[in-house]
Amino acid sequence: MPRLSRSEWYDLTRDMNWDLSYVSEDEAFPPVLSNSFGVPAHDWWVWDEPYKITYTEYVHNQAGKDAGVYSVNNVLNRSHIFDNLEPGWKAAVIAHYGAIAVAEYQAGIGEARMGRFGRAAAWRNMATFGTLDETRHGQLQTYIPYQALAKEPRLDWAHKAYHTNEWGIIAARHLFDDMFTANDAVSTAIQLTFTFETGFTNLQFLGMAADAMKAGDFDFGALIASIQTDEARHAQQGEPTIKVLVKAGKADVAQNLLDRMFWRAWKIFALLTGLSMDYYTPVENRTHSFKEFMEEFINKQFIDTFRDFGLEKPWYWDQLLNEMNWVHHAYHIGVYFWRPTVWWNPVAGVSPAEREWLEEKYPGWNESFGKYWDVMGDNVRNGHPELTLPETFPMVCNSCQVPVCTPAGYAAGYLDSPLPHILDFEGRRYTFCSEPCQWVFEQDPEQFKGHLSIIDRFLGGVIQPATIPGALEYMGLSPEECGVDGTDYAWAGPVIPAEKSA
Amino acid sequence: MALFPVQGCVEGDFVLVLVPVDDQDPMSTVALSIAHHGIGKRVAAQDRPLRVRWQGDLVPDDATIASLGCAPLDVLEVVYA
Repeated sequence: MPRLSRSEWYDLTRDMNWDLSYVSEDEAFPPVLSNSFGVPAHDWWVWDEPYKITYTEYVHNQAGKDAGVYSVNNVLNRSHIFDNLEPGWKAAVIAHYGAIAVAEYQAGIGEARMGRFGRAAAWRNMATFGTLDETRHGQLQTYIPYQALAKEPRLDWAHKAYHTNEWGIIAARHLFDDMFTANDAVSTAIQLTFTFETGFTNLQFLGMAADAMKAGDFDFGALIASIQTDEARHAQQGEPTIKVLVKAGKADVAQNLLDRMFWRAWKIFALLTGLSMDYYTPVENRTHSFKEFMEEFINKQFIDTFRDFGLEKPWYWDQLLNEMNWVHHAYHIGVYFWRPTVWWNPVAGVSPAEREWLEEKYPGWNESFGKYWDVMGDNVRNGHPELTLPETFPMVCNSCQVPVCTPAGYAAGYLDSPLPHILDFEGRRYTFCSEPCQWVFEQDPEQFKGHLSIIDRFLGGVIQPATIPGALEYMGLSPEECGVDGTDYAWAGPVIPAEKSA
Repeated sequence: MALFPVQGCVEGDFVLVLVPVDDQDPMSTVALSIAHHGIGKRVAAQDRPLRVRWQGDLVPDDATIASLGCAPLDVLEVVYA
């Protein structure tokens, strides 16, 4: 039997597009699940993925990747490497698993939707691989922490987090539901695979992989580096989707989808990756600052990709550059101060050596952000660590669901006002942390107006009793799970009595 | 007398906080209620009186939430006079 070369049969076997006759286009591809944005069916059939792979090749490659990751885990899990990791790095890893593991399964839902409702056979083929990828990522990132439960019970949050109403998870769920769990196929390709995966996952999965190796966490480093090889492939579903839209005169549609999700992704990465890179990673193991990673992966590489497709920088670009200087420093103070509300043990990361590093990477940090830590450090040194714990809640943004830190931006000289953006809409008051967050809401109020932030739930009587202990219980945090200072206040100087969990 | 939620913004702090205040309390009391969550915790205390600013203007110390006509979740800034 003659054997065809790969290039001779690949397109032929992949392209199973045909004209529908028994059902209408909308019946086969309901707009709510697919959404062609008015591009005719045949115009989608030119969709061509830049990275071609067959099922045989896929299985071969993935088996090899899994063998590598599971082998490393099998060996290292018997060692004391995890026990000996720095508290800050443990915080980064435990935060990562809770925020990411189950979200990977959810991303599999988005991929599967593209695998069925993508507008071209080539796309559906690639999305099928993407579905398998995300399932693999979910399995890996629940299996590996599960293996280490005896060493760190908080790793249970790899599976538990998304089944709770913990505030950070509400923020992540709000983002991911918008991005892929409850999104149509075309928007998912642009918002998940292009904006989020091509743009931002490099930060968490390449940047953190480099830091992991330096921190001695070879298990985590091998894991996320392996995951990123899948991301780099299936993320390429966005590019041909944008090309089809642009060719059809719908560049404005692609631009709008990108702009909306780019801002949303920024906020969640500032919260997760910003803290991990600039505060949790041991200072001697940091390869770059979060801002430097942003500048390399986003401001240079990703923006070049925009331009290649004829798209522009988002309209709020200057505001993004502005926030890169300050917003994650504010988030870090918030997470530390409200540490009983998170499932990891935040470290302050502001010892003298760390402050020196922060000042070098963010000139002016000591004057603008160090002053908050000075007050908290004084309270600890004076024997009043309880003053570094909350008695109320921060306001959170009704778009990104993250605490509103506009006062920090103002105090540091980056904003003209400390005040939030307020919108009274259909009888309800919404608070936003930034102009782009309000803009995101206003792009699709029907999508967002019914959502209750953790503060809305508190005020609306959903959380009972309406107290901090009541809220912690609502968030799924037992007293043993509530975050405490990861270094028992070593950062502040003199030793003080151990903190009691809230 | 009723609890009334406001967004408290302490001058120099990094975050807005949710603060329940009494709608009949004078602003001098409201200022202290809001300041409690920031001053001495993240913001260094100063030996100066506190004032409340609402909608861009300083309000009289004896004004109340009710007399001003504040809406729920209005932002009240607490500043040193």
